[in-house]
Amino acid sequence: MDAQRNNAKGPQLQEGKATQMEGPDLESVIERAQGHDAEALGEIYRLYVRRVFGLCRYMLDSRESAEDATSEVFLKLQRSIESYDGSIPFPRWLLRVAGNQCIDALRRRKRGRQVIVEVEEGAAVIEAASSEPSPLGAVLSTEERAQVRDAIARLPENYRVPLVLRYYGELSYDEIAQQLGLQRNYVAALLFRAKQELRRKLGHRSK
Amino acid sequence: MECYSEQIVSIFVDGELAVEEARRLRDHLATCRRCRQLLDALRAENRVLSESLQELPEEAASPAGFARLPWSLGWGDVVVVAAVLAVGSIVVGWIDKLSIPEALQWLDPFSLNGRTNLIFNLSYYFAHGGTAMLDDYAAVVGKFFLLLLLGGSALLLGRRWRLHQPGLRLLIVLLALSLSGFALERRHSEVVTVAANQTVDDTLLASGNIVRVEGVVNGDLLAFGGSVEVRGTVKGDLVSFAKRTVVSGTVEGNIYNFSNSLDLDGQLGHNIYGFVQSLRVNDRGRVGGGMVVGAGDVSLEGEVNRSVTMYAGNADVSGSVGRELTMTGDNLTLTNTARIGGNLSARVRQLKNVHIADGATITGTRDIQVRVRQSHFARPRFYFYQAVWLAAAMLVGWLGLVLFPGFFQASTHAVGSGWRSLGLGVGVLAGVPVAIVVTAITLVGLPASLMLLALYLAAIYLAKVWVGAFLGQMLLKPAGATKSDWLLGLLVGLLILTIIGFIPYLGGLVRLGVVCLGLGAFAWQLYRALRPAITA
Repeated sequence: MDAQRNNAKGPQLQEGKATQMEGPDLESVIERAQGHDAEALGEIYRLYVRRVFGLCRYMLDSRESAEDATSEVFLKLQRSIESYDGSIPFPRWLLRVAGNQCIDALRRRKRGRQVIVEVEEGAAVIEAASSEPSPLGAVLSTEERAQVRDAIARLPENYRVPLVLRYYGELSYDEIAQQLGLQRNYVAALLFRAKQELRRKLGHRSK
Repeated sequence: MECYSEQIVSIFVDGELAVEEARRLRDHLATCRRCRQLLDALRAENRVLSESLQELPEEAASPAGFARLPWSLGWGDVVVVAAVLAVGSIVVGWIDKLSIPEALQWLDPFSLNGRTNLIFNLSYYFAHGGTAMLDDYAAVVGKFFLLLLLGGSALLLGRRWRLHQPGLRLLIVLLALSLSGFALERRHSEVVTVAANQTVDDTLLASGNIVRVEGVVNGDLLAFGGSVEVRGTVKGDLVSFAKRTVVSGTVEGNIYNFSNSLDLDGQLGHNIYGFVQSLRVNDRGRVGGGMVVGAGDVSLEGEVNRSVTMYAGNADVSGSVGRELTMTGDNLTLTNTARIGGNLSARVRQLKNVHIADGATITGTRDIQVRVRQSHFARPRFYFYQAVWLAAAMLVGWLGLVLFPGFFQASTHAVGSGWRSLGLGVGVLAGVPVAIVVTAITLVGLPASLMLLALYLAAIYLAKVWVGAFLGQMLLKPAGATKSDWLLGLLVGLLILTIIGFIPYLGGLVRLGVVCLGLGAFAWQLYRALRPAITA
C-alpha cells in the first residue's frame, strides 16, 4: 500500500524531469505561448508542472490545495505569460507567479489578513554570533533528506513560506519581500530563524 | 577585527549582502578561519536544503494526499473508456428499441408533461404527510450504515484486502447470473393484452400504454405502462410501475407497486408493498397477507388478513384488518364497519385528526400517539437516539478517514468551495433520481440503478459528515491536519448541525443545504478522483 502511495505521489509529473529544454527552444516555445498557442502552453505545462506543484505542495498544507493552486497557475498562464519579458529566467518567473498564487491562497484562507506579520520591533537584528552554529551536515542519505523535508513541512507557516520560496523557488530576498509585503531585512531574519528552527527540529529528532 | 554574525554570513551565502558589506566580509574571511568554517557550513546547509527540496514532502507530513489507484493510469483509462463505451452502446441500443412509450410520458423526466406530473405528485405526497416516513427512511439508512460499519470494521481489522476482491467479483457474477437466469417473455406495444383464453407460462415483461391481463400469467408480471389492469390471474408476483394499477382479478403472489394509484378489487395471495399516491382496497378486495405502504391516501374497504403498516396522509378504514394496524401520518378514520383483529397504533400530529367510530371493533389495545415536535426534547429516548446517531456518524467519519483518508479530507475541503458545491449538489440531488429511474426502466440496468441508489443514499448520509467536518474545521482552525483534529472538528460540526436542524423551518432548510453541499463536494471529489491527473 505504501509503495503504491509513494509511486502515486506527484501527480504524474515525471515528464518534466525527463527533458530539459535548451535556451533557444524554450524561448520559441514561450513566444508561441505568448501568442496563445495551446500546444506551446501544453509544452510549458509538461515541463514545469512538477516544479510548480512542488512549490505549491510545500507552501500549502494539503495536496488538494496544492493541486488547485497548480491548476490555477497554469490556467492563468494563458494571460499572464504575456507579461513575461525575458528579464529573468522563465522557470524563476513561473515560480514567482506560483508563489504569488500560493500566498493568495493562504491569504484567502485567512480572509485577507497578511500571511506573515512582523510582530517584533527590530526583528531583523539578531545576536546570533553568541550561539555556536551547527548547520546541517553536508551529505545526506535519502532517508535524512526525507527527514529534512518532513521537518520543513512541519515548520510554522511564517518560516516555511519564505524558506520554500528561497530554496525551492530560488527567489531573491527582494522578490520574497515584495510577495509577502514585508521588509527585506525581516525576510532575512525569518529565513535565518527558519533555519535555526529546522536545526532544532532535526537535532531534536536525532537525539 | 570582530567576526561577523551568523546571520550576516548566512545572507552573504545567499548572495544577498550589499556589495560594500560583502567586500568587507570577503576581506575578513581571508584572515579569519572561524568565519570561513562557518561560511562552508552554511553553504553546505543551503545545499542540503535545496537538495532535500528537490523531492516532494512525505504525504505523512500532511495527510491530505489522495491514494491513487495503483494500476497504470494509461491502461486504466483505456479500460474505463472501453467499459463505458461498451455499457453505453448497450444502454443506448436498449433505449433506442424501447423508445419510451406514450404511456410512460407522465414519467419521462425529459418531457414537460412528465416533469410537472412528477413534481406535482411528489409535492402532493410530501405535503400530505408523506414526510412521516422520512424518519423511518432515516432509520433504514442508519441500519444500512450499521451493516456497512460492521463490514468495514471487519475488513479493517482483518486487513484482508484480498478477500474483499473475490467477494466483490462473486457479487458481480451472482448479479449477472440472476439477470440472465429467469425466463422472460417480453411484450411491448401500445396495448398489451393477455386475452382471456391465453396463458403465459413465463414471467411476462409488458410495457405499453395499457397493459391488460385477462388470461393467466404463470410467472411474474412486470408491467410498465400508463394503466395496468389485471382482470385475469397472475400466479407469481405483480411488479407494476404505472400511473394507474387496477387488480380486479387474482394475484397469487405479492404486489410491488410504484404507481400513482393502486386499486385492488380482486384477490391477492400475499402482501402489498407499495409506494403510491392513492391506494384503495375496495370492498370486494381481499389481501391474503399484509400491507406495507407509503401513500398519500389509503382507503381500506375490503379485507386484509394480516397486519397493515402504513405511512399515509389520510387513511380511511372501513374494512377489516386481521391483525395489527399501524399507521403513521396525518388523518386516520375508522368507520363503524371497521374491524381490527389486533392492536391499533397510530402516530399522528393532532389527536382531532383521529376519528374512530363507536361501532368500530378493535380487539387489541388502542395506542394513539400524538407526534408533537416539542415532545421530542422532553423524552430521554430522543437524546439517546441523538447520541447514537452522533456516535454512528462519528464512527462512519472515522472509518472513512481510515479507509479513504485523502478522499474524505479532500471532500471536506471541497465543501469550502461554497456555491460550486451547492450548485453541483442541487443538480446531483435532483438529477440522480432521474438517472436511477431511467436506468431502472431499461431493466437491464436494474442492478446498476440499485447500486446507484445505494451510492446516492450513502452520499446523502455522508454529506452531513463532510459538511460537519468542514464546519468544525472552520470554527476550530486546527494548527495541524491530523486525524484527531479532523474528528474533533467533525464532532463540533455535527453537534452544531444537529442543533440547528431542530429549529423549525430554518432547520429543514439548513438540512437541505447541508445535503446539497455535501453531495456537491462528493460529486466534485469523485470527479477529481476519477480524473487521471491534474489538468491545467
